[in-house]
Amino acid sequence: MSDTVRSPAGQEEARYRALQAVDPRAPGALETFTTGLHDESWRVRHAAAEGLRRVPDAKGVTSRLISVLGERGETGARNAAAEALAGMGPVAMPPLVQLLGGHEDPDQRKLAADILGQLGHPEAEDVLLRALSDDDLNVRVAAAEALGRMGGDAAARALEGLLDTPTPLLRLAALEGLASLKRAPPLERVMALVEDAGLQRSALRLLGLYAPGVSTERICRALASPVRSVREAALVALGTQASGLGPYEREELDTVARSVLGGIPGVTERVAQALDGEDVQVRAGALVAAGALGEASLAVPVAEVAREDRLLREVLFTLGQLGPEGRRRLLGSMGTLSLPARTVAAEALVLLVDATSVPELCALLEWAEDDLRAVVVRALGRTRSVEALAPLVELLADPSLSGIAARALEQLTVAHPLAALTALEAAVEQRTTPAAVAVLGRLGGARVLPVLRRLARDEEALWRAAAVEAAGRVDGEAGLELARGALADESPKVRIAAVRSLGQQGGREAATFLGLALKDEDRGVRVAAVEAVGAAGAKERSADLEALIRHGDGALAMLAVRALTKLGTVGAGVLWDALSHPDAEVVKAALAALSSAEASADGAALAVSLLGHPRWDVRVAAARVLGGLGRPECLPALEQALAAEQDPLARLALMDAVARLSGR
Amino acid sequence: MPRFDEGRPEMTLEEFRLLRDHVYAHCGILIQENMKFVMERRLWPRLEALGIQDFGSYHRYLRYDAQRNVELEAAVESLTTHETYFFREPAQLKAFCEELLPILEKRNAHTRRLRLWSAGCSSGEEAYTLAMLLKDSGRFNDWDVEVIGTDLSRRVLAVARRAEYGPSALRATPPDLLERHFIPVGNNRVRVRDDVKAWVSFGHHNLADVAGSQLVPRTDVVFCRNVMIYFDQAARRRVLGVIRDRLCPGGYLLLGHAENLLSLGADFELVHLKGDLVYRRPDLPGGEGR
Ligand SMILES: C[S@@+](CC[C@H](N)C(=O)[O-])C[C@H]1O[C@@H](n2cnc3c(N)ncnc32)[C@H](O)[C@@H]1O
Repeated sequence: MSDTVRSPAGQEEARYRALQAVDPRAPGALETFTTGLHDESWRVRHAAAEGLRRVPDAKGVTSRLISVLGERGETGARNAAAEALAGMGPVAMPPLVQLLGGHEDPDQRKLAADILGQLGHPEAEDVLLRALSDDDLNVRVAAAEALGRMGGDAAARALEGLLDTPTPLLRLAALEGLASLKRAPPLERVMALVEDAGLQRSALRLLGLYAPGVSTERICRALASPVRSVREAALVALGTQASGLGPYEREELDTVARSVLGGIPGVTERVAQALDGEDVQVRAGALVAAGALGEASLAVPVAEVAREDRLLREVLFTLGQLGPEGRRRLLGSMGTLSLPARTVAAEALVLLVDATSVPELCALLEWAEDDLRAVVVRALGRTRSVEALAPLVELLADPSLSGIAARALEQLTVAHPLAALTALEAAVEQRTTPAAVAVLGRLGGARVLPVLRRLARDEEALWRAAAVEAAGRVDGEAGLELARGALADESPKVRIAAVRSLGQQGGREAATFLGLALKDEDRGVRVAAVEAVGAAGAKERSADLEALIRHGDGALAMLAVRALTKLGTVGAGVLWDALSHPDAEVVKAALAALSSAEASADGAALAVSLLGHPRWDVRVAAARVLGGLGRPECLPALEQALAAEQDPLARLALMDAVARLSGR
Repeated sequence: MPRFDEGRPEMTLEEFRLLRDHVYAHCGILIQENMKFVMERRLWPRLEALGIQDFGSYHRYLRYDAQRNVELEAAVESLTTHETYFFREPAQLKAFCEELLPILEKRNAHTRRLRLWSAGCSSGEEAYTLAMLLKDSGRFNDWDVEVIGTDLSRRVLAVARRAEYGPSALRATPPDLLERHFIPVGNNRVRVRDDVKAWVSFGHHNLADVAGSQLVPRTDVVFCRNVMIYFDQAARRRVLGVIRDRLCPGGYLLLGHAENLLSLGADFELVHLKGDLVYRRPDLPGGEGR
């Protein structure tokens, strides 16, 4: 035997496993689990509670658990029984209601109120309301807390009524309950309670539920408190108040907050400290405070909050409020920031740049992270500086950034067309990267055709491909000529470039060539050709596309449906095939075609048949199509599907379709 | 609100779910619905890089393009949180040093060989931390020691190999350790010393990839901290199977402090150390085959 098994921990493990192995249906299971509820280890008790939940005789289990609740001195077992009862669901309700309503032991009544609160069933509301006038204070408090978890108007009204009771504990429970129900009583009452030291924290949290104004002022004043937990409650409230505000109300909140916070000595350090705290809600509030203060020195701690994904949105917003000076400070600390902070800092940077920022930006390119570099590349484009041309042209050689660099270059060429052209021509001359050819073609127009023709005969396939595709954009006739030659190229990359070029040309000849490409031996070329047929509007090729609808390769079939839809030549027979394709993307493409094509009764029937498709996204698409087709005879099918639907998105789509068809 | 987002496509709820499911199937990471905003922002650069206009097309790209595997990796990379730092969760590390290391020293005395695995090591701080603790314990100096760090993200692995860090990574590092195990390289940054680096190696591994795990050697201790918090039960179960398989019988598994194996089956036994709870792969006869 190993040490572990003989050790207390090992024995616990053995009891735990033994309980897990008990079949809840076996005779005696109830007894075994009930014994387990009394174990010294919480883990074992937890396993017992779990097991009881699965014993088939729910009524018997419930009454047994209720009796355990009555075992004085067995705290662990009682808590475990309470946990189990809370997990039993509605079947536990009647005995608990009875217990709360009539048991002579106040402890038991209190436990009953606790558990009813956890069950959260609206039917318990009445008995809990009555328990608010129980003789025993603990029961009254437990009932108030339970009501705070239930919802319902009556509960909220009762809790509000308790705000005036002389018993502080009850007032506290009422405040907490109202806060968790998100029910705001009249503001004056809460404002009065904030002044009570014992209630202050809960009252502050409740203040977060009001629109900005006096409530904001009071919340912010609490940030002057020497007590940390009070300040944290205020920050939570501030965060709650700010969440979901539109820009106008937000401005109001910020103005009030700024006026109060500005007068609190040392507030910046306190906010900085809170920004570094553990609690997410406190940090969210600290962001609001930092933004209202507009304090540039907080930029770094604000950016570091981005380590918490959930607060990313607020971090970005707040950085915007810290103004150019805040962003400058961020840039100065780039090397010391954590990775997530560095990424948001870079985003803030994009807004700041002007023609003088190029050297700074180039220094940032030294950082390894690609998404960060992507932001910097975008920023270079925004500088409108001629200095940015060279680094951007160089970046065309980086495969992960060349797309973004090309777009940034286009931005620059508006301001500096000649310099851009020269830089690109030089890059092509020095064979920096084929990506430069594409940009050159887009910017240079007919003037660069001779270069493109030369490159189309280059030794390296990538350069040939770039030249062929670029030529298509520059000039139709030359494009066609180069594309025809390129279709016979031995490299699939060049043939794909030719196909794309043909897609841009359109016309009869292009359609003929595309017909050949559709039969290419290379899958990549065929895929590109299907797309190109749609782009070129080559109706002549419809029959070729139809043949692809049943292709086992989902990409080909899906693109064929989309291309046919674009051509406007998609027939009912084809759709039948597509709708039964095993790949859901093909089916969705066909559904999209249904909504744009002339809707036949067949089409509607087809869409109806897909309301039972195993994939939720197909059911969503089918519901949308039916909503759009406007055929009232489909209404019963939609309603039936809605009744059976479990997926939330599909339900939404179905409800929308039902509403549209029934004219609601 | 500053216009960080001008001209960028929005992600519909439907697109979000399709992309989320795709990522989940690949690596077990489950992205919560309230994280749609984060997902949208993190994937924008991918769309930009590929010249793709909307997230629906991006999803189809991930499904069908010849480059789809490369792209899926890039997407997951930008979606995962790599937050980590040196000497994270000191109480656990203390228990590891004071209670587990003596056991391991005794147990492996005949082979004088020790293997630790930092599974989901992010940019390497955890793996280096472990190597530093082993050094400082003085128990294994002339042993054959290796700390293996693996992660799904190739990008963080590159950072890990470079072994250069800034203040954020060092925020919990005691000054004496900073002095002992790092050399300053300017601009507030430091590099891990070569003797520590010599004990650490890094590699790419998806914990959800059962077959691929054969490349990880059998280890005495696995640290898998703050990784499975992003997984659902099913994915966790799968990953625990992989970890169990890579542990020597009697080897230990240490999770992050907010994680536990409740209701994940009985493949591990719980060991109560004085300072922490850890899990152990049983070494009972017959434990092998279970
Ligand atoms: C938050 S970090 C934790 C780093 C370190 N273990 C610590 O606790 O400080 C989580 C890491 O897990 C990695 N990860 C997530 N899913 C993974 C998977 N399926 N396989 C391997 N690594 C994964 C992520 O890339 C990330 O670097």
